[in-house]
Amino acid sequence: MTSKLSSEEAALAAEFALGVLEGEERVQAQRLSLANPAFATRVARWQRRLDPLGQAFAESPPPDVWPLIEAQLDAEARSGEIRTLRFWQVAAGASGVLAAGLAALMILGPAPMQQSSGPVAPASPAPVVIAQLAGTGGTLLAANIDPQARYLSIRAVSLPETPLSPELWVIPGDGVPRSLGLIARGGTTQVKLPENLRPLLVDGALLAVSLETAADAPHTAPSSTPIATGKISVI
Amino acid sequence: MPTSQNAEARRAELSGLLARVAAGDRRALKTVYARTSAKLYGVCLRIARDRDAAEDILQDVYLKVWKRAGGFDPGHASPITWLCAIARNAAIDWVRKHGRPAIPAIEQPPDAGDSEWDAALEALSQDEERAHIFDCLEALAPSQSRAIRLAFFDGLSHPELASALGAPLGTTKSWIRRGLLQLRGCLEGD
Repeated sequence: MTSKLSSEEAALAAEFALGVLEGEERVQAQRLSLANPAFATRVARWQRRLDPLGQAFAESPPPDVWPLIEAQLDAEARSGEIRTLRFWQVAAGASGVLAAGLAALMILGPAPMQQSSGPVAPASPAPVVIAQLAGTGGTLLAANIDPQARYLSIRAVSLPETPLSPELWVIPGDGVPRSLGLIARGGTTQVKLPENLRPLLVDGALLAVSLETAADAPHTAPSSTPIATGKISVI
Repeated sequence: MPTSQNAEARRAELSGLLARVAAGDRRALKTVYARTSAKLYGVCLRIARDRDAAEDILQDVYLKVWKRAGGFDPGHASPITWLCAIARNAAIDWVRKHGRPAIPAIEQPPDAGDSEWDAALEALSQDEERAHIFDCLEALAPSQSRAIRLAFFDGLSHPELASALGAPLGTTKSWIRRGLLQLRGCLEGD
């Protein structure tokens, strides 16, 4: 696997950015934009090119849905902690709407992994344990775990700009997130896996990244919904 | 007609508001809503072509804005196009999932009056860089330009384009593909 896109993939990236895809092709493009950084970059470039067109949308008098929006925000704020907890449980069960959407993205071949941010090296030995962590807004991280499960390497491909720090979690079948500590905002972080957590990093367990304050990390529980999640796959 | 200075000031204001939304300021979100809901409702309505659906999508859009404002980068996109992209994607997701009223076949020639298009060209005429893509689209073969515009502004999928334009699927797909390639060449001055 290399970073070169086939002409078919290049066309798919352009059509995805335009918004013309449907069904299987749209799903395929969504998968590729999370699994293949070269594809994601291509999509982003197309979005930038098409960006000025958005100004040509005509206005239309809207119905007043602000009270409805506000009611939903209130409901979320009231149940903030419960909601967060529920999200993490749902995510761990991979059965919620969000998790289901993300799960579709996890049916991927092994992505090219690398230790530095240089060009993707072709034909390196495929890692046996990998995860792609994807979220909204193009947030993307790629992780692999060495065969002895002592170290996890995680590469931040794209993270939102924020003063907060990304914290990595593993969520096994019991739905309780365990912190694996803070990771770097860019490049690859090597996380030494504590012995007691190693058995949790198995096929199907969920990895998640949330944004946290750095000063008091690692935390016992995430303070917000994750910005990216992905299942561990043993290939 | 707003001057480009006014446009710049509004853009800066909206960027500032989104930064406050990212920090959890709900009053800022309300102001963003007041400033942009007509525009975003226009996007939702144009793509969903159903008022009830567009109303649901519009709510969803502002909840997404609330959650995603931290990901907005003013150096990368203008705030209004970032917001439009969220609305466009939400609306496209909705119509791909739920369908929508049948698309009437388009019989008028591709250069028939399109008031939105003309208004946009007018508004952008002072801003050469932004007007560039409009010039490039105009320079494409009419069938290609029409197909790309229908896909972008109406959220039509490949099969919907084929039916709207009354041409075989393979033909409209190649209009899109070749049109996009030429568009890129034009934008990048090849």
